[in-house]
Amino acid sequence: MVDITQIMRFDDLASKDSPIHNLEGRVKLIFTLLIILVCVMSKELFIPLTLEIILLIILKIAKLSYWDSAKRLLMLLPFGGAIIIFQPFIQPGNIIWSYSWINVTDGGLNWAILLLVRMIVCLTAIIIYSSTTPLQEMASSFRKLKMPRDLAMILSIMVRFLFLFVDELAAIRKSQKSRNFTIHGKNTPYKWRVKQVGYTIGMMFLKAYEQGERVHKSMVSRGFSDTSEMFNEKKSPEKSDYLFIITIIIIVIILEIILFKYGGQLGYFGQNLSIN
Amino acid sequence: MENGGIELHIPDGFIPISQCIIYYVILIVALYFSVKWARSNLDEKRIPLLAVLAAGIFAIMSMNMPIPFGTSGHMVGGALVAIVFLAPEAAVIVFTVVLLIQALIFGDGGITALGANVLNMAIIGGFVGLYTFKYLKGIIGKYPAAGVAAWLATVLAALACAIEMAIAGTFPANVGIPSMVLYHFFIGIIEAVLTVIVLIALDKFRPDLLAWNNETKGDA
Repeated sequence: MVDITQIMRFDDLASKDSPIHNLEGRVKLIFTLLIILVCVMSKELFIPLTLEIILLIILKIAKLSYWDSAKRLLMLLPFGGAIIIFQPFIQPGNIIWSYSWINVTDGGLNWAILLLVRMIVCLTAIIIYSSTTPLQEMASSFRKLKMPRDLAMILSIMVRFLFLFVDELAAIRKSQKSRNFTIHGKNTPYKWRVKQVGYTIGMMFLKAYEQGERVHKSMVSRGFSDTSEMFNEKKSPEKSDYLFIITIIIIVIILEIILFKYGGQLGYFGQNLSIN
Repeated sequence: MENGGIELHIPDGFIPISQCIIYYVILIVALYFSVKWARSNLDEKRIPLLAVLAAGIFAIMSMNMPIPFGTSGHMVGGALVAIVFLAPEAAVIVFTVVLLIQALIFGDGGITALGANVLNMAIIGGFVGLYTFKYLKGIIGKYPAAGVAAWLATVLAALACAIEMAIAGTFPANVGIPSMVLYHFFIGIIEAVLTVIVLIALDKFRPDLLAWNNETKGDA
């Protein structure tokens, strides 16, 4: 799990200026989804690895730091990584290495490599998206892409209040720290610590609920009703947006053709490593 | 150690697209009924209320909860939201937006796996939580019932996650199910205790927020 107080930093990054930052919100969202979809569907390494190279170039164009992005990527790997690590030992295949009862299979190892590559490419796409798109733009992209009204409104109000609660969380952490409270502190009984965490969560829940009620009242007092629509800033995609997304689609099609026609000559990179 | 605990966020690439589509269909059907429920039960208040609550849940999900042996985990709260509103539909709406934002900003949980993740944490978590609570409430009292409900919701959400991974071929059932269920068997206890503490606190400070109090008033 990532530290959500980082969200402020992401939003700062997202409001910078670069050709990628300036792309229209929907274009960036569709681009990210496209990359993830193609990557998840790939059964060999050729396409995901090529996409990763393209993403690294885009990362540079977006003026994002390779080092910071790599750090973010590493923090996101644990859950998936834990499952990937087991793959060489639990999947069927020819045994390529064994030590007492532990066997490593080629099928398992290949599958682990494919999963890891897929995960890295998908996360790189997400890192680029979240570092170049402010939260409000994300919410409005969903609205413009015809997300059902209720959900779209909930999403855009939610992202507005996210910062408030992240601030709140940071304040709670600070006050706990200043009182030497840690969840693993051995100086206090375990039961007491669980209770304190419970109260903190309860308070946060209550604050969120009451803030929600207040927001409702203030919206109603400004004329909000069940039929109110949210303001949609009219911003249509520009030539550069179309150019960007069409280029990416063409690249994906070319990669698929190369794989289809010359898959056999790509060696390991063209080999089907998937087990499902 | 920072990681561990309730980690049910399936990343992209672990479930094949054909299966992701099935989970998305389940998600869309669940959302359809949930939005319908919200329209008739929360009126126009639904939008700001659920939105701000989702923002709060987002923060709650990243609070560390103490787990013995020096690890820490994170509360999910699917059962909690369902019990507060006496409706799993509320959990479905709240967690759909929370998990969507988590996936898009943090890469925590996949976009293609969003359907599966909402299914585990909100649909299964919410339904199991609420109906276990409703069933046990009259037998063992509301707080113990809420505790058991939150525990069972956590264990079954983990079981569902393990089964989905097994169907996907990513983690064989004979390894995945016992390890996930056993781990969450213990983690679920903390989730249960925290759920009960939150409910007690809510009952003390804002009893009107709990749907079960309004229900009793309505009956009387």
